[in-house]
Amino acid sequence: MKLFRPVLCLSLAGLGARPAVAEVKNPDTYTYATISDADSVDPAWPYDVASHVLILNIYEPLFTYSGASIQKLLPLIAARVPSRANGLISADGRTYTIPIRKGVLFHDGTPMTPEDVRYSLMRFMLFDRDAGPSPLLLQPLLGYPTTRDDSGRLKPNAYKDAARAVEVRGNNVILRLPAPFSPLPTILAMWAPVVSKRWAIQNGDWDGTEATLPKFNNFKKESTPFFERANGTGPFMLERWDRKNKEAVLLRNDRYWRKPAALKRVIIRAVPEFGTRKLMLEAGDADNITADWDNLGQLQNLPGVEIIKDLSSIEENPVAFFTFHVNAAGNPYIGSGKLDGNGIPPDFFSDKDVRKGFAYAFDYQGYIQGTFRGHGTQGTGCIPKGLLGHNPGQKTYAYDLALAREHFKKAWGGRVWENGFEFSLLYNSGNTPRENFCQILKRQVESLNPKFKIDVRVVEWPTFLDGMDHSRLPIFILGWEADYPDPHDFAFPLMHSKGNYPVDQKYSNPEADRLVEAALAETNPEKRKALYYKLQALEFEDALHIVPIDRLMYRAQRTWVKGWTHNPIFPDSPWGAYYYPIHKSE
Amino acid sequence: MLRFIGRRLALLPLVIVGVTALLFALLQFLSPEMRAALYVRDPRQLASLEAVIQKYHLRDPMPVQYWTWLKQLAHGDLGYSETAKMPVSDAIRAFFPATVELAVASFIPMMFFGIWLGTLSAVRKDKWADHISRFIAITGYSLPTFVLGLLLLMIFYGRLKMFPPGRYSLDVDLLVHSPAFHSYTGFLLLDSLMNLRLDVFWDVSKHLVLPALTLIYFEVALLLRITRSSMLEELGKDYVRTARAKGLRERLVVIKHARKNAMIPVVTLSSILFTTLLGGVVITETVFDYPGIGRWGVNAAQQLDIPGVLGSALLSAILFVFANMISDILYAFVDPRIRIQ
Repeated sequence: MKLFRPVLCLSLAGLGARPAVAEVKNPDTYTYATISDADSVDPAWPYDVASHVLILNIYEPLFTYSGASIQKLLPLIAARVPSRANGLISADGRTYTIPIRKGVLFHDGTPMTPEDVRYSLMRFMLFDRDAGPSPLLLQPLLGYPTTRDDSGRLKPNAYKDAARAVEVRGNNVILRLPAPFSPLPTILAMWAPVVSKRWAIQNGDWDGTEATLPKFNNFKKESTPFFERANGTGPFMLERWDRKNKEAVLLRNDRYWRKPAALKRVIIRAVPEFGTRKLMLEAGDADNITADWDNLGQLQNLPGVEIIKDLSSIEENPVAFFTFHVNAAGNPYIGSGKLDGNGIPPDFFSDKDVRKGFAYAFDYQGYIQGTFRGHGTQGTGCIPKGLLGHNPGQKTYAYDLALAREHFKKAWGGRVWENGFEFSLLYNSGNTPRENFCQILKRQVESLNPKFKIDVRVVEWPTFLDGMDHSRLPIFILGWEADYPDPHDFAFPLMHSKGNYPVDQKYSNPEADRLVEAALAETNPEKRKALYYKLQALEFEDALHIVPIDRLMYRAQRTWVKGWTHNPIFPDSPWGAYYYPIHKSE
Repeated sequence: MLRFIGRRLALLPLVIVGVTALLFALLQFLSPEMRAALYVRDPRQLASLEAVIQKYHLRDPMPVQYWTWLKQLAHGDLGYSETAKMPVSDAIRAFFPATVELAVASFIPMMFFGIWLGTLSAVRKDKWADHISRFIAITGYSLPTFVLGLLLLMIFYGRLKMFPPGRYSLDVDLLVHSPAFHSYTGFLLLDSLMNLRLDVFWDVSKHLVLPALTLIYFEVALLLRITRSSMLEELGKDYVRTARAKGLRERLVVIKHARKNAMIPVVTLSSILFTTLLGGVVITETVFDYPGIGRWGVNAAQQLDIPGVLGSALLSAILFVFANMISDILYAFVDPRIRIQ
């Protein structure tokens, strides 16, 4: 007891004490406490935001976004942003001339050249690991999404096609496209940042020749020197990526071609437990943290902490996708497999009235209020707010149980209403917005008819993935984040018959395909917009998925953090950041 | 004794094969798509699922996969852990020292308090000391670790700014990764002393206080209960009555006679507790953001990181064999009637 007495006294004294007046803690070091750590710092590898945010602070792409804008680009490694007006994009939209900035040094002090740019673009495309980001450039520059054939072998013409597409002429890099692809500059503002060819070769990476390419195509993550080391041109250098402590430490690049950053160090640290992250923020050991809407109540009114609310996002998440024809073989999620009240037939959702019944039965406002504390609006379709082609006036499915009932009564010639149905609705564990979506949908649909039964199940991600890949899930709930701020990045994966989700849904509408393709080829923004409006009208009519919300986000940071600007396209936004303009002061 | 140790160590390969073969067999119940989930985390990657399965040979039959793994193991290669983002052997080297430091920092006070309170509780049965000890035991065991951990953090870090989470503070973080600090053993407490950096030693010790306290409070309950019941049993035996009748001092009767004999179940339990601590304490490590082996092992299991799971299972198996061996040796010291055969 004697032992505990002083500790107890200290505890009680502490509980009564006033928190210390906020003074800037570690004024030249910025700490961001997030959920997960990076996967790799190789610019050709990651598709996760934790890695991407690191890469965009260490390396620099050709362009960047101007402040909070997702439309206006600024030159970074490029000396100018190409456009038709300045003549750097050809009249047919297939040739881009990109002058390269002079006087830029890599972190090792060597100068950056147009050849480095060419090498970086080629490397990004040709390294092409499975499930990686390379298709983002392969599609527009080479016209196909992968460098390998069906048997997994490197296509014999891949290198030559890439070399033809990317060429150095004097101080310019010339890009030649097989067909116009208007979003290309926005992709080049996010992906394929410039690496040093010389450093790469010195450290055993690809030498840039066709002969050695097979060794590097579809590479293993840890096999390249870029995996854990970096030599970019960006405002910060990678001082250390400590995978044991799950933290990356960035050190200011004092030889940066612009004025060096105000912060000397940036620490990005994975702290999975929210309570610990919150205490770090409160103590000033973290300058900002990752937090969901569920956590907002605990962060409000903390001394020295500010909450910046209603920040836009460019994503559709969650979205409920109807599978038009599920795989019935050994499928545990469709009950009897018949419309007998104890299951559903495999093509249950191919009936438009079933889909509309579900869409009208969902309580959109209740969901937004309950899950996001009212911070968001009902989604209007596949193009999120803020992107060209988003139609704020698009007709949407309102929460209307009478209409839902009407559609269910018509579905399957009245047999749905008469016999009822039962199936399983899965969501991946730990995802509260998806869980709430499932529970609301279940409650509302089951309230229509006692014969309607939905079995909501929580599963781990592997189980979910397995069910989805085998087309066993009658409805699957996932989302889509922007790779680049262009409507095509949403229209294709959500609406085109070869898009990521329609393939799994077994949805195909030739008119949707035509509209997606026409909008991509169209260079006139007004005409593009009109095409996307038509696409969203078709989306409403086909009711192939439910988009419940255009969500807003918030950021919790110390009040001493200055200079942060919200750009929704930046990876991990609004939590992760481009740290160059940020400084700390009271 | 040496023969005994040799025999126990000879069991090790058998245990390793048994544990890993069982794990491999269990993993075969999961489809290749489920196992590919480790590499496909984002919906944008779904289109490449089949290619990922082929790349990592996830459709190969179980014996083929197991044989490949055993061949790797024979060359000292435990594979690459996706969750740790490093080779498994590096991951063990990286996480294990932190866990050992936490285990030792918790285990020594835990043993001291557990045995002391258990003895006190038995000697003063149904008195205040016994009631208080039992209260500690009940609350310690029934209070969830994450609740206790978070409460301690809120008080001692949030309010008092005394004991922060993590393994060290920012300044020490920068120092231990600088050329000025040499990592001789990977054990930071030892390395700080070898570098003559008492400030580092103090900082690392400070970061151990709360996770150790959480573990002590949780685990001491079990030790206390076992010591108490074992002591009560011994105190009721004839030889204790004889010792008292001989006029021996009560302190001598309790400590020298009864407690020594009461230690056999305590030795068994303590070896299990220490092995558990060395295997990692997931919740404590998560709450206190402590980079130990438990957090990695569970993360690997959740994400089906097969090399990671096998690596951590191997480590646990080896620890278990050693812990059993040590507890058997300790029996002989505690009770000379037991002879190692």
